[in-house]
Amino acid sequence: MSETRLGRRAFLSVLGLGAVGLFAGSRLSGAAAPLGSLVPNDLSNLVTSGGWRIYAISPPWPAFDPAKWTLEVTGEVENPLRLTYDELLALGSEHQTTDFHCVTGWSVSAVRWEGVRLASLWERARPKSTARYANFVSMEQPYVDTLTMDQTTLPGVMLGHGMDGKPLSRAHGAPVRLVMPAMYGYKNVKWLRRIELTRELRPGYWEVNGYDVDAWVGRSNGY
Amino acid sequence: MPGLAAPTATETYVRRFSPAERSLHWLLATTFLAMLATGLILSLPSLAEVAANRQLWKSVHLGAALAFWLGLLGLMSAEGLELRQTAREIDSFDEDDRDWLRWSVTREGFEPPQGRFNAGQKLTAAIVAGLMVVFTVSGVLIYLQETNAAFRGRTSAILVHDIATWVSIPLILGHIYLATLNRSTRHSLRGMIRGTVRRDWARRHHPKWEETL
Repeated sequence: MSETRLGRRAFLSVLGLGAVGLFAGSRLSGAAAPLGSLVPNDLSNLVTSGGWRIYAISPPWPAFDPAKWTLEVTGEVENPLRLTYDELLALGSEHQTTDFHCVTGWSVSAVRWEGVRLASLWERARPKSTARYANFVSMEQPYVDTLTMDQTTLPGVMLGHGMDGKPLSRAHGAPVRLVMPAMYGYKNVKWLRRIELTRELRPGYWEVNGYDVDAWVGRSNGY
Repeated sequence: MPGLAAPTATETYVRRFSPAERSLHWLLATTFLAMLATGLILSLPSLAEVAANRQLWKSVHLGAALAFWLGLLGLMSAEGLELRQTAREIDSFDEDDRDWLRWSVTREGFEPPQGRFNAGQKLTAAIVAGLMVVFTVSGVLIYLQETNAAFRGRTSAILVHDIATWVSIPLILGHIYLATLNRSTRHSLRGMIRGTVRRDWARRHHPKWEETL
């Protein structure tokens, strides 16, 4: 009886498909993206997560207590602030749709954010002329990251308190996170509790671990 | 066995899987399930909410992968000759096997007689072996691009790792269903646990192998 090495062929076919996926995957998934819209939303949220991966550095995730939480603005400012959640929301509500890119290689396109522009915050806090950097301190310790004062007012930068039509969830940094779409996700500090303006650069959590301070999407961290 | 009658035949057991084969199976089963569970926790926000300790799950995930390859290396150095023989058996498809694959789709006529592994098992084993390599290569690339800038933006390692997962889940679910719930095939689980199966079951499902015993 004639024998064929079908097992080997199947094995090598899987390897071949894997290799094609590795090197042509981004083009293929772009072409296949319309298929994703055929999957019911609830199911795709449960199963594919809309592309999100939840990264945190020190479990458990910080919990948001509306009665106790405040956002402080301190450091090189004329008028230090301590805002409650309601006071923060009262600073205005801007909407934007921007893409989110993680430095590890995944992206989520067209995230609908709602939030407060940093400029509104600076109007109240009145940064001193000596303020050069804004440090965004998370409730999740010791997470912190930083932008230059100029970067905080670039288009698309906001303190996001709503995402995709709902209040920001715990996984995404409730009650408020920094949204900086032109930079990788690690700059988009979750679970914010304090913004400290400083004269000197204080590298963020991941920057101490070797990532770029200016985390421009597509132009930093080896991309 | 002269005058072999059905009632006594059910009492006779024949050995289907060697200790080395069973060890390899359970090595893959435990490490794969550990990687699947921790991998889902790492990638799905709906599960990450339950288990926020990312570092822990990542360590278990990588540890299980390492355990699989070290275990495989150990088994190959101890029982390599025998396991390579098993691999050859899985690799080679005769005419009956090719007919069986057609039959499994069309279900026309009688089931073509099968050896110790049926053609579906052989094909699945070969695909799973391929998936283990794809998982490992894409997984190493994910690890490298998380830790080293030089590897970023070069490959779609996350996409490939994800697709391999979504291919593996139905395979593993079907496999467990056939081994535990499906009435006619679930006896095979005994072969993977104790090594032996009933001779009459072997004759019905794997006649070409049974008649060589």
